[in-house]
Amino acid sequence: MSTTTVPRSPLGRLSVRRLLDVLQSAGLLAVLIVVFVVVSVLEPHFISGASLKTILVNSSQLAVCGVGMTMVIALRGIDLSVGSVEALAAVVAAKLSSTGTPLALAIAIALLAGLVAGTINGLIITQLRVPAFVATLGMLSIAQGVALLYSNGGSFLVSDRAFTAIGRDVVLGVPLPFVIALLALIAGWVLFNQTRFGRHTAAAGDNEEAAIASGIRVRSLIVAVFAIVGLTAALAGVLVTAQVGDVDATVGMGFELNVIAVVVLGGTSLAGGRGNLPGTVLASVLVASINAALNILGVQTFYQYLAVGLLLILALALEAFRDRLTGSRPSARPGV
Amino acid sequence: MERVRSGLATIAARYTIEVVLVVLVIVLLLTSSSFGTSDNLNGVLRQSAFVGIGAAGMTLLIVSGAFDLSVASLLAVCGIAAGKLVGDVGVVIAVVAALLLGAGLGSVNGLIVSRLRVPAFVATLGTQYVYLAIAYIWTNNQVVVVSNTTFLALGAGSIAGIPTPFLFMIGTYLVCWYLFWRTRYGRHVRAMGSNEQASLIAGVPLERVRVATFALVGVCTALAGVLLTGLVSSADGTVATGYELNVIAAVVVGGTSLNGGRGTLAGSFAGALFFTLVSNALNLYGVGSYWQYVVTGLVLVSALGVEGLRRRFWLETI
Repeated sequence: MSTTTVPRSPLGRLSVRRLLDVLQSAGLLAVLIVVFVVVSVLEPHFISGASLKTILVNSSQLAVCGVGMTMVIALRGIDLSVGSVEALAAVVAAKLSSTGTPLALAIAIALLAGLVAGTINGLIITQLRVPAFVATLGMLSIAQGVALLYSNGGSFLVSDRAFTAIGRDVVLGVPLPFVIALLALIAGWVLFNQTRFGRHTAAAGDNEEAAIASGIRVRSLIVAVFAIVGLTAALAGVLVTAQVGDVDATVGMGFELNVIAVVVLGGTSLAGGRGNLPGTVLASVLVASINAALNILGVQTFYQYLAVGLLLILALALEAFRDRLTGSRPSARPGV
Repeated sequence: MERVRSGLATIAARYTIEVVLVVLVIVLLLTSSSFGTSDNLNGVLRQSAFVGIGAAGMTLLIVSGAFDLSVASLLAVCGIAAGKLVGDVGVVIAVVAALLLGAGLGSVNGLIVSRLRVPAFVATLGTQYVYLAIAYIWTNNQVVVVSNTTFLALGAGSIAGIPTPFLFMIGTYLVCWYLFWRTRYGRHVRAMGSNEQASLIAGVPLERVRVATFALVGVCTALAGVLLTGLVSSADGTVATGYELNVIAAVVVGGTSLNGGRGTLAGSFAGALFFTLVSNALNLYGVGSYWQYVVTGLVLVSALGVEGLRRRFWLETI
């Protein structure tokens, strides 16, 4: 389904693409700087350590899960279940911890729950041939139900100080949740950009049939990538529990669309075939900064929806313009 | 291949959701004494109308090869509009204004997709936030309370024993069916969804069809918003959280392909009834509400999984 393509050597297109990726990240950074400059002029307290720390802490859940979602979207898939999986992991970690399970074990079991949910998504997609959109929409409902059943609809207060410390500790001046997000970014970046697994993911997302024909085991790849995004959703859930200290099964509502929004803002195309992981993390920080800025300026919080929505449309309109410039195909429907 | 099969098998394959729906109703009638009561049946019909009406427009949009994730926010904005206006201008003008607003907001979606070339998924993800913000800003995060009795009857009343929202649902499907199968516009929608490039060459005005279809989704959603506001006698920004996914689920279970090009309005109608019936059945059997999420998800996955397995083992071998 190729459309109008401008003839261009593959190498030339590739380098232009790289350049534009860098420009996109630079654009995000520029918006981020503008937000900081304008808000600090209006309200000098904005550039305080406390407020910067809040921004980084609040961006980390989006960033962590965004790393996994970037890979799924690069594979031309989509995962709508991350909000429910986040909630499931959050209540599992909170309930286990509050009933005396050792912290490490509680976290490990919560992460395992996410890994299992993600693997099941992958198996439904590959074995039952259900489109990713529908399969993960089903998992959204299932994981939500399991989280409600497991928590019996109640909330859990985490009493283990070591657990809540994860949400508050600072390492070399950087809040621990954001350090975890950066570690997730590095792991994701190495996996996606430096390994055969990552190259195959991009290849399968770009052209699935060609990938199958050239011997890539696309089905196993799909299962693995969905397992990874499940894991990152669960990690985000553990971070929620650590930060909030009091969670119930509704914590992840709407999270999936927020995560997809930062991935897209970060410069990853829904057409598949490529992913911009640093862009995702940068976009998470940008969204958290906008929220913090509106907060400190005393603007009611619901204006943040307006800002994020307009930013998203603007960024994508620019991307569509860019795609016409480089002659790549327009972004397609996310079906897998 | 179709002709070789016996007639019954063909009907079962082509009208899967309709057949499942009939079987489910029969089973429920036989096993639960309270299912057949008119109170319960009316409740099911009334409940299914809100998702059902949205699913009518969404079916045409998905057939045309697009998506709309903004409908939950759009529904809230239109419900708020009707609720705010009804006290001053009367029911008819308030409802018409809400429907026009729906058409307008839908057209905005369509223009962003066709003019700015933003993929529908992301464009409507963006407007979902924007419309939600409008809903919050307009109401200043307060609940709009409605007391006009005629307006409330639109959502909560019945005509000749049938719940009003369900009558509106039937009307919506008749109109959409006519548009889809009996007009040039409907042909364009189908052509565009099966091959956009080819239909462009064949002279289909892609942009106009795209915008019109998003506007249609907007009108359907606004109607659902008006009726829902009538039923709960209030409107706010979060009245329909998750609505977009419920609507898409009903369309997909009904047999419309997410790849565009083909779809069935009767299937979406049945799909909306089906999800309401499943949750009604679980209620009647005393299954806890938390299990309903699990069952709903399993139903959705298996509805498409069965079809996927059938294709995998009978029709192809990759």
